[in-house]
Amino acid sequence: MSSIKIENVFTAYDKADVLMDVSLNVEAGKITCLLGSNGAGKSTLIRSILGLTPPREGRISVDGKDITGAATHKVIAEGIACIPEGRRMFPKMTVTENLRLGAFQVSDEALIRQRMDHVFDTFPRLAERRDQLAGTMSGGEQAMVSIGRGLMGGPRILLIDEPSLGLSPLYVKENFKIIESIRDTGITVFLVEQNVRQTLAISDYGYVLSGGKLVAQGSAEDLKNDKEVYAAYFG
Amino acid sequence: MDIGLLGQYLANGMMLGTMYALVAVGFTLFFGVLDVIKFSHGDVLMLGSFTGFTAYLGVLAVGIVNPWLTLVAILVVSITTTAALGAVIARYLVLPLKSAPPLNILLITLMLGTALREAVRLFYPDGSNPKAFPALLPTASVDLGGFALRADSAILMAAGIAVIIGLNLLINRTRLGLAIRAVAQDEETAKIMGINYTMIVLLTFGIGSGAAAFAGIMNGLYYNEINFGMGLLLGLIGFSAAIIGGLGNIYGAILGGFLFAGLQTVGAVALPFASAYKDVFAFGVVIALMAWKPTGLIAERSSDRV
Ligand SMILES: Nc1ncnc2c1ncn2[C@@H]1O[C@H](COP(=O)(O)OP(=O)(O)O)[C@@H](O)[C@H]1O
Ligand SMILES: [Mg+2]
Repeated sequence: MSSIKIENVFTAYDKADVLMDVSLNVEAGKITCLLGSNGAGKSTLIRSILGLTPPREGRISVDGKDITGAATHKVIAEGIACIPEGRRMFPKMTVTENLRLGAFQVSDEALIRQRMDHVFDTFPRLAERRDQLAGTMSGGEQAMVSIGRGLMGGPRILLIDEPSLGLSPLYVKENFKIIESIRDTGITVFLVEQNVRQTLAISDYGYVLSGGKLVAQGSAEDLKNDKEVYAAYFG
Repeated sequence: MDIGLLGQYLANGMMLGTMYALVAVGFTLFFGVLDVIKFSHGDVLMLGSFTGFTAYLGVLAVGIVNPWLTLVAILVVSITTTAALGAVIARYLVLPLKSAPPLNILLITLMLGTALREAVRLFYPDGSNPKAFPALLPTASVDLGGFALRADSAILMAAGIAVIIGLNLLINRTRLGLAIRAVAQDEETAKIMGINYTMIVLLTFGIGSGAAAFAGIMNGLYYNEINFGMGLLLGLIGFSAAIIGGLGNIYGAILGGFLFAGLQTVGAVALPFASAYKDVFAFGVVIALMAWKPTGLIAERSSDRV
């Protein structure tokens, strides 16, 4: 099982820092969540880890190995996968092709087929639609593809950015259940969300980000009962 | 018109269509992966022809006379060199300018094209004069009811179409093609899938440039002549073909290539002043098509490419 350590990270797009001195740990085999309202910098932290928007200062490491500013495909090679915000289908590709891309760095075709079968077992709806273009699917179905695609590479760490965004309550509930079961298979999960209640219900540990700074942290249990944090950041 | 002449026009049109499609596919691939229009593409093709010609001289110098062996040497040297050149252009000229305004890339590749052209004119031995490209293919012909189909034409066309089909299979059936399409549809998500973005861009430019080199060799073998300015019109036509087909769509590019050749042929056959105005006619129709369907015949949203 793997963990991520983020130390004193500052990330900026142009000049102004979006993340300021962020330090956190994503513990092995646990669900660690990052809560915060729109524009807090949650996705920017994920982009920093992935090397899409490298931090201008600070250090990010996976199991002690420094990956700060590494090219994205090298970060992925460290056993990290990401289910990006908005699901980001390849719209003109079939479900199968989207899933195949999730295993781009896997060269064992038998393993890829086996994982794809597993995804189809988890989401029978996708099995029926394996040759449909992803761009023509409903939001809920795209969410399934996106989750399945995130698992195809057999990651040790999964970064999930706002999986409940734009989904109906039923799908949201289903998704959180699946995320819990992913953790139970031994995959370390870093879950970014705005949906405080349901996220804390499945998380082990949580951080709260506001205006690019960490403002609170604690076990999910403690955060749930912290009236002050609730009032200040999720009122 | 008699059947023989019609057949002649048809064969010629098919040949041109194949060449145009090969050039157009490059434009469409480059636009797909990098959202750029690389105006030096036609001159890269010209360089491919000259590289092939140089390889021919080299083969001649070492005393090889077998035409097939010569042909293989020309193709291998020309395609690999040109593909490498395409990758180098992508790496040192296009990628660094990726976030610059598109007009800058357009201008710079336009200037690069001019530089390549002038370099060949000035520095290639006697570069300002046309070079006689060798006729390496058998010229025997079969009579098809009044129309004589020459073996060299048939072989060239078959080879060109085979390359187009091969490119298509490469894009749609292989792991590399999957990565190219992924980068074209969503660069950032492609990176998140673990795709080495820079590598894919370089390979794509290599493939597109290699296809242009092949078209350049075809051109040389068909007309038995190459010159430093040959890339100008071929590049423009390839670009037009890619645009007609809906830039970014590989089938569209192929369709556009054959459509343009068809227009030229119709222009040559039907216009009273004959072939002198065929290009005017073809480009005129392209302009009309663009006015009618500004996004190309195979309409694409900007998000779904290749
Ligand atoms: N590509 C970008 N360029 C410039 N600023 C950006 C970009 N993406 C996000 N930002 C800014 O960074 C801040 C944090 O954004 P983001 O990380 O997306 O927040 P969150 O995911 O928490 O909603 C916002 O103020 C946003 O406007
Ligand atoms: Mg976000």
